[in-house]
Amino acid sequence: MTTVGANFVSTNYLANSLVGPVMQAQTQLSSVMTEESTGQYADLGLQLGDQSGYELSLKEQVGQLQTLTTGNSVVSTNLSTATSALSEIQSNAQTTLNNLAAWTPSGTSGAALQNMGQSGLQSLISGTNTTSGDQYVFGGINSAVAPIADYYSTPTSAAKTAVDQAFQTAFGVLPSDPAAANISASDMRSFLSGPFASLFQGASWSTDWSSASSVNTRATIAPGQTVTTSTNANQAGFQQLAQAYTMLSEFGGSALSSDARQAVATAAASLASQGVDSMVNIQAGLGASQSAVTSANDSMSSQLTILQGQLGNLDNVNSTATAAEISSLTNQIQMAYELTARLQQLNLAQYLPVA
Amino acid sequence: MSLSTAFNVISSSFTANAAQTGVVSNNIANVNTPGYSREIANVVTNSCGGSDVASITREANAALLEQVSSSTSQAAAQQAISDGLTTLAQTVDDSSTASSTSGANQNGASPSAMLANLQSALETYADSPTSSPAADAVVSAASDLASSLNSASATVQQVRETADQNMASSVNTINSLLNQFTAANNAVVTGLQTGANISSAEDTRDSIVTQLAQQVGVSTTVAADGSESIYTDSGVTLFQDTPRTVSFTPTPTLVDGASGGAVTVDGVPITGANSPMPIQSGALAGYATVRDTLAPEYQAQLDQIAGGLINAFGESDQSPTPTLPSLPGLFTTPGETSPPSMSATTGLAAAIEINPNVDPSQGGNPNLLRDGGISDPGNPAYTYNTTGAASYTGRIQQLVGQIGATESFDPSAGLDSSASLTDYANASVSWLQAQNQQASDASSYQNAVATQASSALSNATGVNLDAEMTNMLNLENSYASTAKLLTTVTSMFTALLQAA
Repeated sequence: MTTVGANFVSTNYLANSLVGPVMQAQTQLSSVMTEESTGQYADLGLQLGDQSGYELSLKEQVGQLQTLTTGNSVVSTNLSTATSALSEIQSNAQTTLNNLAAWTPSGTSGAALQNMGQSGLQSLISGTNTTSGDQYVFGGINSAVAPIADYYSTPTSAAKTAVDQAFQTAFGVLPSDPAAANISASDMRSFLSGPFASLFQGASWSTDWSSASSVNTRATIAPGQTVTTSTNANQAGFQQLAQAYTMLSEFGGSALSSDARQAVATAAASLASQGVDSMVNIQAGLGASQSAVTSANDSMSSQLTILQGQLGNLDNVNSTATAAEISSLTNQIQMAYELTARLQQLNLAQYLPVA
Repeated sequence: MSLSTAFNVISSSFTANAAQTGVVSNNIANVNTPGYSREIANVVTNSCGGSDVASITREANAALLEQVSSSTSQAAAQQAISDGLTTLAQTVDDSSTASSTSGANQNGASPSAMLANLQSALETYADSPTSSPAADAVVSAASDLASSLNSASATVQQVRETADQNMASSVNTINSLLNQFTAANNAVVTGLQTGANISSAEDTRDSIVTQLAQQVGVSTTVAADGSESIYTDSGVTLFQDTPRTVSFTPTPTLVDGASGGAVTVDGVPITGANSPMPIQSGALAGYATVRDTLAPEYQAQLDQIAGGLINAFGESDQSPTPTLPSLPGLFTTPGETSPPSMSATTGLAAAIEINPNVDPSQGGNPNLLRDGGISDPGNPAYTYNTTGAASYTGRIQQLVGQIGATESFDPSAGLDSSASLTDYANASVSWLQAQNQQASDASSYQNAVATQASSALSNATGVNLDAEMTNMLNLENSYASTAKLLTTVTSMFTALLQAA
């Protein structure tokens, strides 16, 4: 009868032995084809296992760097808006300074001083109230409110009222009063450096002139790196220029004697020159922030390249390898079909003569 | 030797031939029956020199059968675990993401990815604190994060409930198989006593044991009278002369923190933490592991993330001398009045939501994200932006920092007890995917072993059609020769009688 041993194979096993491998190859083929088309592992979680968290954290870092890079363009826009407004203010101040240097006291020259002051103050106010998007760039963190109120508004602005009052208190008359002609140059000088100057400092400045917050906005421009992204209208430069323009505007065209008017022009020139210096300093500060943003963007961009390379190593399949795998799996399946068909022929009954 | 003796030999030859043909036919008929053990007719010489089929042997192989059933049990357990984990892993599925080109909003659906989105939205908001679309984007990212925790939690519950249902149907299958086994076992025992052919009953017994092994790991012993006893792989008796009662009360709803019933055999629990002899393999063990260990552990991690979120976004009294308690801020749960303790976070992931006070779709004010006071709008004690400045970013940057700040987590959830929210959420994904990978690998491996063992068993005990055909030809030839012999002896008799 039958010999039993290692050489024995059951027909059932022989018939079905190829089913398992074919199914396995087909499953594999479908996932390799997905990988071929997407370039990534078909089931990333299953592939990475406990490295999934690491992969996610890489993705998060990439996302964070991308968010910061996008955010930096907003920061950059704000910084350039502020810088160009500052340079406008500075160049206006420089023009005023040049005009003052050329100015000589004469009969009608008071009106020229007054014009210089008025146009200067108006351009200072509009420059300081520059917006970027919906934010006032010189408002500090209080960016929703215009930093400097209009001096020439109707009803009379608080700032103008305060100036008039200070003059009245010091000399008993208004600047337009003909009696103001009796004010001496030295009295005028001490008024300008005393009660008048104090209107542009401390509490008076923030009550009458400025709504800006002294706290500047800050932004994170790279992981762990924050920079100041704005300046505010409470900086000395703005005060000095406002003071210079106001004295020209208020007292230049007034009834003052030409000595006193000369004193006003001198004081204004000195303040305007300080103001120009301050503006340059403020611009330098913003320029430093701007260059910090640029270098942060550069370094983040190179970090992104590295991180995305690492992610690629984790997520991506080798396309040459998948192509090779597809062709070898296809061959394997074809071979299995061929074999199955041939095995069906290997049946003794086929070779026995029909009785 | 006389001519009549020759007749006797011829007669026995026909009988033996018929019996052998029967065996061959039986074998050929069952060539494709899984688990069929081929039969061998043992032919011996009888007293008058002819041949008899003394017995029919069943080509069984107990060792290989044991191997098949144990590997089947292992494979079934790993398959059940892998199925459960695959469903759980859908909650952190991010395989469809194209990472190289992805923006911040395309990291997938995991709570971890949602947390990263929230962080990105907050950073964008910090750059444009006056922008209400940016504030709305933070609220919607926060809302997505809360929903992803809710839905992950719902998935865990669903996985546990499915496992519970599977346990119930597995127990039903076991009971019905044990009853079928009773009949087959009785047939073997009585067959042995009466000398009947028990091959088919033995096949049935083996096949039932293999089916049983799918559900629960088993071992068997055969007593002297041929009765077979079945024990679980942990040694609890399932069948000895009579079937034992396997009972299980299903729990239709398994919310976070609720535990399902244990499977008992004659009152002894064989699953769960209280079992003195817990089963190790079989689908039942796999379902129990998913329901009682893996899914609850993942749920605990989700709850820890939810608790950590509520705490990280909580608001404290900002007065110079704080007197009021901290309150839940952006994230809260319905009716929550104080930040949760990290050692009692059960149910938080299912309940977490964003505070209606900050949700514009519920009439809330998204700017509270920047200004503070989400917990108690209008109460100056919880207001961070005291001057009402539009570009105040202190609070937003504090919140961004909170996401990355180290927090304490309950170590019983199986992850690091000290980590940032982001790291913790990532670690949870790693944990889940690692379990998934292990179960999937183990499942493929055990399936391969089971297939191998089945092949070996099939080759050791199965039918080879060609061998049977060869036997058939032999029998045909032997029949023809015997018939020829009969004719010859008959003509010899006739010649003898005519001569007389």
